[in-house]
Amino acid sequence: MKKYLSLVLALMLVLGATAIASADTTQPTKIVWLTQGVGDNAWEGLTKPILAKYKEETGVEVVGEFHSFDDLFDVIEVKIASGSSDYDVISVDVPMVAAYATRGYIAPMDKYFTADEKAQFIDSAVAAGSWQGTFYAPPMNTSTQCLWYNKALLDQAGVTVPDSTPEKRLTWEDVVDMSNKVLDKVNPDRNNGIFGLDWQQASRVYQMNALPNSMGGQNIGEDGFTVDGVINNDAWVNALTWYQGLVKSGVASQGITADEMGNYFASGKLVFMVGGTWTASSVEALGMKDYGFCAMPAFKGFEDKVGTPTGSWHFGINAASKNQDAAAAFIKYMTLGEGSDMWLQANGDVPSRKDKLDAIIADPNAAGYLKIGAYEAANTAVPRALTPGFSEYSTIMNAMWEDVRNGADVKSSLDSAVQQIDTAMAKYKK
Amino acid sequence: MNIDVRKRKMIPYLMILPALALILLFKIYPIARTLLESFWVGGSVTLKTWATLLHDATFWNAFWITIKLNLVMIPVQVIVSFCLALLVNANLKGIGGFRTIYFLPFTISLTVATIVWSLMFNTNNGILNSLLAFVGIPPQRFLVDKNQALWCIVVIASWKGCGYWMMFFLAGLKNIDVSIYESARIDGAGFLTTVSRITIPLIKRVSLFVLVANTTANVLLFVPMQMVTQGGPQGSTNVLMYEAYKSAFKYADRARSSAIVTVLLMIIVVVCIFQFKLLQGKQDGGAEA
Repeated sequence: MKKYLSLVLALMLVLGATAIASADTTQPTKIVWLTQGVGDNAWEGLTKPILAKYKEETGVEVVGEFHSFDDLFDVIEVKIASGSSDYDVISVDVPMVAAYATRGYIAPMDKYFTADEKAQFIDSAVAAGSWQGTFYAPPMNTSTQCLWYNKALLDQAGVTVPDSTPEKRLTWEDVVDMSNKVLDKVNPDRNNGIFGLDWQQASRVYQMNALPNSMGGQNIGEDGFTVDGVINNDAWVNALTWYQGLVKSGVASQGITADEMGNYFASGKLVFMVGGTWTASSVEALGMKDYGFCAMPAFKGFEDKVGTPTGSWHFGINAASKNQDAAAAFIKYMTLGEGSDMWLQANGDVPSRKDKLDAIIADPNAAGYLKIGAYEAANTAVPRALTPGFSEYSTIMNAMWEDVRNGADVKSSLDSAVQQIDTAMAKYKK
Repeated sequence: MNIDVRKRKMIPYLMILPALALILLFKIYPIARTLLESFWVGGSVTLKTWATLLHDATFWNAFWITIKLNLVMIPVQVIVSFCLALLVNANLKGIGGFRTIYFLPFTISLTVATIVWSLMFNTNNGILNSLLAFVGIPPQRFLVDKNQALWCIVVIASWKGCGYWMMFFLAGLKNIDVSIYESARIDGAGFLTTVSRITIPLIKRVSLFVLVANTTANVLLFVPMQMVTQGGPQGSTNVLMYEAYKSAFKYADRARSSAIVTVLLMIIVVVCIFQFKLLQGKQDGGAEA
């Protein structure tokens, strides 16, 4: 009896050891991706075939947990900050790379991406995905903007938008002039809810900071902390005063949020809108066909200083994930592999891969807005403030833009933002 | 025998033990943890968070906005709820329908109520500006005006909350013996005299509950600020609760958030002690009268 018992115990020991060994070497069959874009028309729907294809090819199921844009940041601050290993891959809005790296939320990825692989991305995307010389977050794609316009409204006023290319741009003054001509025809009393010019991401630093950038202003000091003298200098005061003038004269709107602006344009209530290259697919999905686009305008006298918004979503590996190798494999598939090709095709964003950008520029049949986008990404794109305190920076600056939009004194709003950011950044200056 | 007596004496303590354990776990522990977190930065105990907070202009602005909001909102809600309760206390046919209608907003989530009201307050195409235009009043900016936004939030929160508080007052009113009103009427007391000399003194306990619960709910209010105004315009709706939320979830600064929540807790405790003293004193006085 004792002999049998010893045999059974020995067998169990061997089986247990085998199980442990196989658990160490076997790929997990499931990883979880914490991301944004709820709904069939958003990332949730767009990535479905990509995730299915990945499972088919690798046997690894990627479970996407999709949140709204704003909620994703809160979830990261709650779940990832607590050290949860529930997630393996995180979608990282690129200006948050420095913050998440500093807080230890995301793992370095230098060991997963060779120098040759990193060189396949545009330089600005690699720089934006790195912090203090370490590569943390490869890009999904990048983003650039065009000036989109409603042809039907322009036709009603007999206004034709002249050709505007990155080499020979319209000026903002030209655009305001055309907006006023159209409004005089379609909204003479400025009270029927039709506006002349607005920004798809109104009161968000992503798009709005391009105005002071286009007058030579910077987003933050070289050290990643200084804002005094940087965001309250003449470039900023002049750009914000110009923008506030648009709102006061009824050319630009008040009270319409960034979440609503795209639909507002698609519903025919906005003549010009600064919007991302994804605007074409989003307005067409809403039934708008009569639209046009051109390169972002320049301020008169600042034609050589045009700054355009850029940056998009990158991937990070949850530092607490137990499946980091599998997470890295999926990220590589989504940034350099077939998943990246499928994603760029589905979403219509501007690639952050050099080969894809070159292909767009060389392709005579590529959409014009993508050609403009490819040029802007390489030549005029200004990354958002690179700082570990970007969350604080953007929260305070978004509120500042909204205050200026609502009539607050420009200089005192900027000075107040400087004071708030200085206070908020103090904890990073140890 | 002695053992039996001792055992019997233990029974009440055993009975309240589960409740006590739950209170300790879900109330006292989080409060203590919050307080400790406000002194805990980077693995060491420090007063730095409090020192920075007390010199932070944004914090003091949020503190003042919280006080200003509640100085107006709490009395408004209590008075409106009491008046509504008086109205629906009448013995009329179909009065139950009115009670339901007034109570209905409470059944809607604050998130939904905020969205609906923000659409109505929309400065470009909201229905309120259309109604104002109908009577010749120029359009208002409501939630995008630094002088109006806070009061718009008072309207949203009061519309949602008054029906709820009304039900407590109504329950209190229903407990008053009608013979007291009849004798007052025979003695020639008018409506205002009846309300001030009979109704209010007799619902002191209900009033105290409503005041304390209403204070707690309103001091912690932040859904409309988070969803619609984001603390603006120009910080005019940036209450302490929203500042605490931003510190925790936007700035990843749990120590600052915990310190702000501790301040909020202290505000609630101070106000509630004041309310207890006030109503307790008056109740004693009322009893003597």
